[in-house]
Amino acid sequence: MLSQDELARYDRQIMIPEIGLPGQERLKKSRVFIAGAGGLGSPVSLYLAAAGVGTLVIADYDRVDITNLNRQILHWSKDVGAKKVESAREKIESLNANTKVEIIDETINDDNILGLTNGCDVIIDAMDNIAARFVLNRAAIKRGIPFIHGAVSGMEGRVTTIIPGETACIGCMYRDYTKPGKFPVLGVTPGVIGIIQATEVIKYLTGMGRLLTNRLLIYDGMDLRFREFKLSRNPECMECNTGKG
Amino acid sequence: MGISVHLHRVFQKYCGNLETIEAKGSTVQECLRNILILYPELEKAIFFAEGKLHPLIEVYVNSSSAYPDALKKEVNDGDKIHIIHTLAGG
Repeated sequence: MLSQDELARYDRQIMIPEIGLPGQERLKKSRVFIAGAGGLGSPVSLYLAAAGVGTLVIADYDRVDITNLNRQILHWSKDVGAKKVESAREKIESLNANTKVEIIDETINDDNILGLTNGCDVIIDAMDNIAARFVLNRAAIKRGIPFIHGAVSGMEGRVTTIIPGETACIGCMYRDYTKPGKFPVLGVTPGVIGIIQATEVIKYLTGMGRLLTNRLLIYDGMDLRFREFKLSRNPECMECNTGKG
Repeated sequence: MGISVHLHRVFQKYCGNLETIEAKGSTVQECLRNILILYPELEKAIFFAEGKLHPLIEVYVNSSSAYPDALKKEVNDGDKIHIIHTLAGG
């Protein structure tokens, strides 16, 4: 049941026929796991809170560094040195106190990810390496919940929505290989990609629209164009075909 | 008429800043090998070892993923190959 405050706050999106009151109530009941409170995690969590998602579970072991501030808009100058998850919770609760924020100040891995994602409806990829994405992908497959993959570098980004058992997964797309070192990025790039990830989450939770499934959307900020590539499940994928073990 | 090979921006510096190169071949590997004759510096950017693409290289044929056996993927005249680079940042 939505309060008067919530009805007023979400009025403009409740006006969207595909959302309406039922969709808004579904958002309120939803629990979303966001892996990372950095460049992608910032716009994703802010827009999901603004839209009225009931609970955000945010995992990040890191502390805010001044070099994060060109893109990680959850964190401000005063937060340098603070734990990212605590900085994130403060901003999100200031934006919308109706959204409950649960924070996890630890590194995700295969041993803890199933416990951390307990009860979640969706997992969002806001990580900065491929190995962690494989961990999240396995958790999504085992839980049978969607995994919204996003990644960025420089002026370029990509998104796809993974539905376990139905679509290509991370293992159908990539080899588990992480190139060490920091990556270049302009802050608006994770802004664009994170907002698309948040759009996919809201669509999934409310049941509206056509999801970005089996489609890899690539954003090229240099030429300002989007390109779409088709993905398909790999019958020999060790993650989604035999990885349920 | 050949096969159009579209290169991601990061690879164009190895190929005279060309975005698209026409190639001949019946597989992705043959097309790439023919391009490497003209632009040998591209090899170190996309190949990890002889006959093996670098793990961060992605190949799409006619806008569909060619993973996992991209080099063996058959192509025909008029097809388009896209060579792009995996992104990992967040």
